[in-house]
This record gives sequence, structure tokens and C-alpha cells, in this order.
Amino acid sequence: MEELRKGFHGEINEVRQSLATLAASVIEAIPRATNVLLASDLEGAEYLILTDDEIDARSLELEDRCYRLLALQAPVAGELRQLVAILKMIGEIERSADLTVNIAKAARRIYGHNLDPKLRGIISKMGDQAQQLFAAALEAFETEDVAKASALDDMDSYLDGLQRQFVQAIFECNLAGTIDLQVAIQLAVVARFYERIGDHAVNIGERILYAVSGWRPELKGAARHKARLAGDDTDGVPFPEVGPGS
Amino acid sequence: MAAAAVASLFGAVLRDRRNRGVVVPAAVQDLAARSIEQSRGPDYEVVLNALPLGVVLAASDGSVIFRNRVAVSVVGLRHVDLLVEAAVDRLIRQTFDTAEAKTERLELFGPPPRVLIVSTVELADGFCLAVIEDISERSRIDSVRTDFVANISHELKTPVGALSILAETLQGEADPAVIAHLSSQMIKEAHRMSDTIDDLLELSKIELDAPLRQNNIDLGALVREAAERHARTAAAGGVTIATDVPEARFVVTGDRIQLLSAASNLIDNAIKYSEPGDTVSVRLYREPGKLVISVEDEGIGIPPADLDRIFERFYRVDKARGRGTGGTGLGLSIVRHIMANHGGEVNVASQEGEGSSFRLILPVQIGDNQ
Repeated sequence: MEELRKGFHGEINEVRQSLATLAASVIEAIPRATNVLLASDLEGAEYLILTDDEIDARSLELEDRCYRLLALQAPVAGELRQLVAILKMIGEIERSADLTVNIAKAARRIYGHNLDPKLRGIISKMGDQAQQLFAAALEAFETEDVAKASALDDMDSYLDGLQRQFVQAIFECNLAGTIDLQVAIQLAVVARFYERIGDHAVNIGERILYAVSGWRPELKGAARHKARLAGDDTDGVPFPEVGPGS
Repeated sequence: MAAAAVASLFGAVLRDRRNRGVVVPAAVQDLAARSIEQSRGPDYEVVLNALPLGVVLAASDGSVIFRNRVAVSVVGLRHVDLLVEAAVDRLIRQTFDTAEAKTERLELFGPPPRVLIVSTVELADGFCLAVIEDISERSRIDSVRTDFVANISHELKTPVGALSILAETLQGEADPAVIAHLSSQMIKEAHRMSDTIDDLLELSKIELDAPLRQNNIDLGALVREAAERHARTAAAGGVTIATDVPEARFVVTGDRIQLLSAASNLIDNAIKYSEPGDTVSVRLYREPGKLVISVEDEGIGIPPADLDRIFERFYRVDKARGRGTGGTGLGLSIVRHIMANHGGEVNVASQEGEGSSFRLILPVQIGDNQ
């Protein structure tokens, strides 16, 4: 029996390692996407699109492996939370890779248009911040660092601020007549892609919190709903809630 | 590390399981040969850890049984290390499956960008050896060399080509207005060519490391002179030069003409890439053990990907605009060599859309300045 659990723990470690490598692929893809956009690198865009197919394949493979472990090993407590959290994190990572592809596709659509240096500067900052957020999420995951995982939300606020600044800069360029309307729309959408990558990194942080402590961000809303049903207007949020059987 | 694996690594390192010769880096071969020659065996882990290459040894089930120091953290950037690790695992699996040696070039974006070569080979008694070599620096130098050849060809051929076409057109032209226009274009192209050759000669003179003229230089006066040289150009472009030089005299020993040329080059660039209404700030200040001349602008800035390359000869960030500004593409390279000749350095920080800040840093000998 002990040998069986040993094998199971080995498998969980392998799953964790595969998830970390999946996240590493996205951390690598973010600056590539930024470069594709800023350098109008069509070849780089093609590379990102192909790489995304590989990330999709690896995500599916990893998901199947998690389902197999859930079905065959019937994990409980921390191990169950860990596998469930990993399943959700796979989705966040896979979606983030899609967003880097979206940036590359937007770069193809605006190919040949020169971008204002101010816009280029903010794009560069958004790319850096999105990559840092994902790198911090990876580190928090590997070290199970709850404090770092919680800090991701604050880091994301800076990215949100950059997105707002970028949209403002687009308006200014439009007023100055230095940007084509089509390009302006594409760039506004690109800023949204970076902002969403940041949100996915924050979600990964929340799943790390869940895996380690059992706390879920939705508990806040659920507690408020429960309180409303009970006619109680206090805003009690249980933290941390310990998972089943732990 | 398992004794059998070590024996396998050193005893069969030059042959795969089909007894074919395999490519293993010379450093590993030397170490293996030396270990066999010596009657007493060295501490293999110490030997492998001393290698500047990543070495990974896997058992027949694909599990890694040894990683040397470099292979544990190839780049030191977590996500890049994870991707390298995944590539090594994949190549090891493929090597076991096909019984063939594998080699793959990994180009990772980072930043900073890295280029690695991963080679795997199956050893005679069921182990697989992977070697990871970081060729980033070699690859960077190759690309600098290739770009240099392409850029210098372009810089020299463009004015020559233009001169030839303009001269041919001039030959069959009778209209005095057209002749005047064509000849003024020819003069412009000839000047451009002449500027490039002058800069190339100046650069090669500086690169020769010729003994510097040793003057005592008042850096404050030098900075003011450099700023004054460009006052008229700046005013014509609606750019203000703000000079901030302290009252105290900062004196260094060096070649006055070269240092003036370095400061002047940076101010010239700052003006070229500024918009009307912008300010170029030129400051002289002291930091512990060094004197700094900084030139800051509020111009278009430099993309992060180009920051490491702007000091290369003929490297241009924006090819179209760079040539339009009339520069030769050698200015920053000259600045870098001048600073190296003075035991100092030049560095740059920039943000696109916000501006750039160049700093000329000169070491100060104790007692040079009060």
C-alpha cells in the first residue's frame, strides 16, 4: 500500500513539473508576442501560432493525466485540492497562450503601420509586466508561497493601470491624427489581451491559495449571498476554509 | 552517482550502442581519456561539475540519475531552465526510442535571449548522456559580424550607387535648373560618403589604442563647449539644451579632443531624436570614484531589443529614419571606444516614447578632484 502511495506521489510531482513547464512556455511566449507586435515580425507570429498548438496538445495530455489520477487514486484532502487546482490552472495557462497568439494575429493585421513611440513604450511595459506576473505565479506555484500568490493581485493592478494609460494614449494619437482608426481599434484590443493575461496569472495565484489552504475567492460572494438569504447584512468571509478531510 | 553509470559514461563515451562513433564535445572526451589513463580514478562528480557544459545522465527508463552543476541551472532564469529541462527529457526519450544520437538547437527569447545546443547519445549499457552547451555569446558575435558586413556594404554602396545614377542622368541633361538640382544631390551624396569614411578612419584610429594625448581637462568647460557647439542646430529644431555644470572644477587627465567628440556625439544624437519643444539636459556630476556626464532627452526612445546593440558599428534602430537624420551609424561606436581608452564606460537607459539617458562615466584617481 505504501509503495502504491509512493508511486502516486511521484505522479503528482510529475504533473506539477509538467504544469510548471507549461507555464514556462507562456512566460517565454509573452515577450515573443510583444516583439512580434513591435518589430512587425511575421515569421515570429507564425512561430507563436504553431507553438500554441503544441501547448494545446500538452494541456489536454496533462488534463487527461489528472483525470486518470482522480479516477484511479481517489485522492483526498490536500492531494485532492492540488489536483483540482492544477486542472483549473491548466485552463488559465492554456487561455493565456491563446492570448499571446491573439496579440501575434493583431500584429499581422496592423502590419506596415508605424506605431507612435509613446504607444510602443507602453506596449513594451505591458509585455514586461504580464511576463513578470506569470513568472511570479510560476514561482509561487513551485514554492507553494501563499504570500507571493496573494501579491499577484496587487501586481496586476499596475498592469490594469498601464492598460488604461494605453487607451488614453490611443485617444491622444487619434486626436493628433497620428493613428489610423483600424490600428487604434486593434491596439485597444491588444491592451485588453495583456490585461487578461494578468488576470489569468491572478487566477493561478488564487488556485495556489486553494491548493495550500482550501480558500477560494468565490467564498466571499457565496458568504454574502448566504447572509442575504438569512437576512443578515454582516459580511463575514471565512478564511481559510479547510478542504474536505484535511 | 551510480558506479556503473560512471563507468559507462567514461568507458563508452565515444561509441553508441550500435558501436558507431558519436559526437561528444572535446572537453568531455579529454576528461574521459585522462580518467582512463590515470590509474587512480578521480572524483567523477567533481570533474563533471567543473565542466562549463551541462551534463545529464539518464537510466534506461528515462529517469535522470545525474545532473552536473551547470545542468541544474543552465541559465539561472527559472522558466528558461524548465524549458531546457523539458527539451533534454524529450531528446533522451527520442534517443532511447530510435537508438540514434540527437542534436537540437534551442533558441529561447528570455529575456535575455539564449541559444543552446542539446546533444544526446545512448551509451553501450543502457544509459543516455545529454550534453547542453550555451552558445549564446558565440551566436551573438556571429550575428554582429553578419549585420556589420551587411550594414557596411549598404552604407558604402548606397552613396556610390546614387552618385553613379545622378552622374548618368546629368550627362544627358541640358536644362540648367535640373543640372543644378542633380549636382547639389551629387554633392550631398559625396559628403555623406566622405563623412562615413572620416568616421571609419577616426574609429580605426581610436581602436588602434594609440597613446592618448594626456591633457588636464576641465570637464565643466568641456561640457559647456560641447553644448554650445550644438546650440544653433537645437534652436533651429525648436529644442532647448539645458546645461547643469557645478561651480567646482572637475579635472581629469585624458585626450581632450576625444572626450569633446564623445560628449558632442551624444548631444547631437539627443537633438536629432527630439521633437520641437523638447529639452535636452546635459549634466556633469560626481559619484563615488567617478565623474559622470549625462545627456538626457525626451525624444522617441530606443526599443529594449535594440539597447544592447546600439554601440555596434553601423547598427541603426530605425533604418529608414536613422539614415534620414544624416548620421553615419558610427557615432556611438566611436563614443564607446573613446570611453574604453579612458578606462571609463558609456551606458544607456531608455523608454520608448519617454526618452533616453546616456551616461559617460570616467574613473577619478584619488586626489584628482577636491
